[in-house]
Amino acid sequence: MCRIAVSALALAAMLAGPRAEAQGVRAGAARVRTLAARAESLEAQIVRQDSLAKRRRYDDLRARRFTAGEVTVLVPAVVGEATGQHIADGAKRYLDTLGAVAPSFVASLVAVAYLSAGWDSVLRAEGLAARTRIMADIPAQPDSFADGWSVAARVVRAYVETLDPAWRSWVPLDLGLGFMKGRDDVAAVRELAAGDTRAGTECLGGRAAACRSWLGFDREANPYTARYTPAEIRNIVSRRMVEYLDVSAQQCVRGSDDACLQYARMGGVSAVPAGLASVRSVLRAIRVLHGAEALRRAFADTSGAIGQRLARGAGIGEDSLVTEWRAWLLTGGGRPRVSASARDAMPVLLFGGLLLFAAARSGRWR
Amino acid sequence: MYKQVLKAQWLAARLPVVLLAVLAFALPLLTVTSGSGLANAPVERVGQWLFAAQQVGVLIPGLALLAGLLLGIGAWAPDHAAKHVYALALPIPRSMFVLLRFAAGATLLAIPVVTLGVGAIVATLSVSLPDGVHAYPLQLTARFAMAALVCFAIFFAISIATKRAALATLGVICGVLLADAVLASLSIKDAASVTASVFYLLTNWPGPLSILMGRWALFDV
Repeated sequence: MCRIAVSALALAAMLAGPRAEAQGVRAGAARVRTLAARAESLEAQIVRQDSLAKRRRYDDLRARRFTAGEVTVLVPAVVGEATGQHIADGAKRYLDTLGAVAPSFVASLVAVAYLSAGWDSVLRAEGLAARTRIMADIPAQPDSFADGWSVAARVVRAYVETLDPAWRSWVPLDLGLGFMKGRDDVAAVRELAAGDTRAGTECLGGRAAACRSWLGFDREANPYTARYTPAEIRNIVSRRMVEYLDVSAQQCVRGSDDACLQYARMGGVSAVPAGLASVRSVLRAIRVLHGAEALRRAFADTSGAIGQRLARGAGIGEDSLVTEWRAWLLTGGGRPRVSASARDAMPVLLFGGLLLFAAARSGRWR
Repeated sequence: MYKQVLKAQWLAARLPVVLLAVLAFALPLLTVTSGSGLANAPVERVGQWLFAAQQVGVLIPGLALLAGLLLGIGAWAPDHAAKHVYALALPIPRSMFVLLRFAAGATLLAIPVVTLGVGAIVATLSVSLPDGVHAYPLQLTARFAMAALVCFAIFFAISIATKRAALATLGVICGVLLADAVLASLSIKDAASVTASVFYLLTNWPGPLSILMGRWALFDV
């Protein structure tokens, strides 16, 4: 706007020139000088305003530190005190709920919002320069709806990157942080009940060895031949848009068993028949049934197959672990099936007796 | 004496009892309306069928509540109508009369419980279950009996309560709601809801209403 005004004034000054000549050289020159001075003043004002706006923007984005337990977050100042603390508290709450990440690992990190400015000087000033920096997606707005989930997700991702290759190929990148009670349960049961593989069907029926195979618990030299039959791979591939897939996928659908295995080995089919929702549900079940320490112990373990590590972490046998997980999943989070035990009857009888006693002691016709 | 009270109560409440008995018999059968030959059915169909069984199961505690309500209030209806003259004319203490009324009401309550049990057994026999899925007709019937009994006791006590007791109960409920409204108006961060806390205490073991919660599916893993 200001630039347009300056240009207009300059143009006016130019137009004014010949007019002034016509009316008198002196008067015209004075007017040109005045207009030029005004234009210069406006330009200076624009520069001042620009620099002020930049300064203000920098101040808004300047990193501010918030901590909650082991979680340290640097967020733009514009986010505000309450929201910044809310983000740090939320991230801590998510990580505590997940429980898989060791607090010492969380304490070795500092999460920095992508848009924050001057974070390096803040890190130095606050003595956090030695920590590993992870960038998190936190909106630079006051009263934003950010609740720390993105910070927790970045911490978890950083943690997964430190795990050994066997873990990295098995766990979901969020370690089950996004596990939503109800929604993911249903998804996991659906994966199990989908009947894509014989292992899944038998696992649903209660065979522990089938559950181990379906979940990819055992270490296999060739997981595709051990966990799938070519027909099962064909069944999975045929539900995809085969015409856009590799030639081996097309040959697989046409009936070539070798092509099915080749396509699967190329990464076309997951080495673990269970989907991400089911893997998440395993982690969640261990967390709920055996505590966060069990998960931490398992992730710290780097020897043996995934199933052995998880079982050692939980302190039970591998078959017991899958049986426990299956019951936990199919009963909707470990809720027992319909029961009518003495434990259920006790409150009923006590409360019924109490009400009967109260009814006998007082009444309308007393 | 018990026989006379039972007979009088039956005459007053026979219509609701018969209605409850029919409903109780039909509910478990609803579970198997979506199919019965599941032994060799695709797993996906078994999953859907289990889900449907659970949805039907949700109706059973509702039926227990209805049975408790109708028979609990019905137990005292003739006395309220006749201004308790019959009860006062009897040569027995009041506490004994209350016990007789309760026993007679609980006996009538046994009718829908038994019909639910019969319905559950018929439903179980009519379906061939796949591996890993089991039927729980006895557990379901026993749980229904307990839930109906607790609901019956509540409505039985409310029906015979004095005005003072009724006002006290109403006062407690209003107090809880008022406490919640005050907490909400003060905008206290992380303030727990009083209503939610009371509800939690009542509906979680050892709360008296915990029997109405939990799983009620006739067929389950």
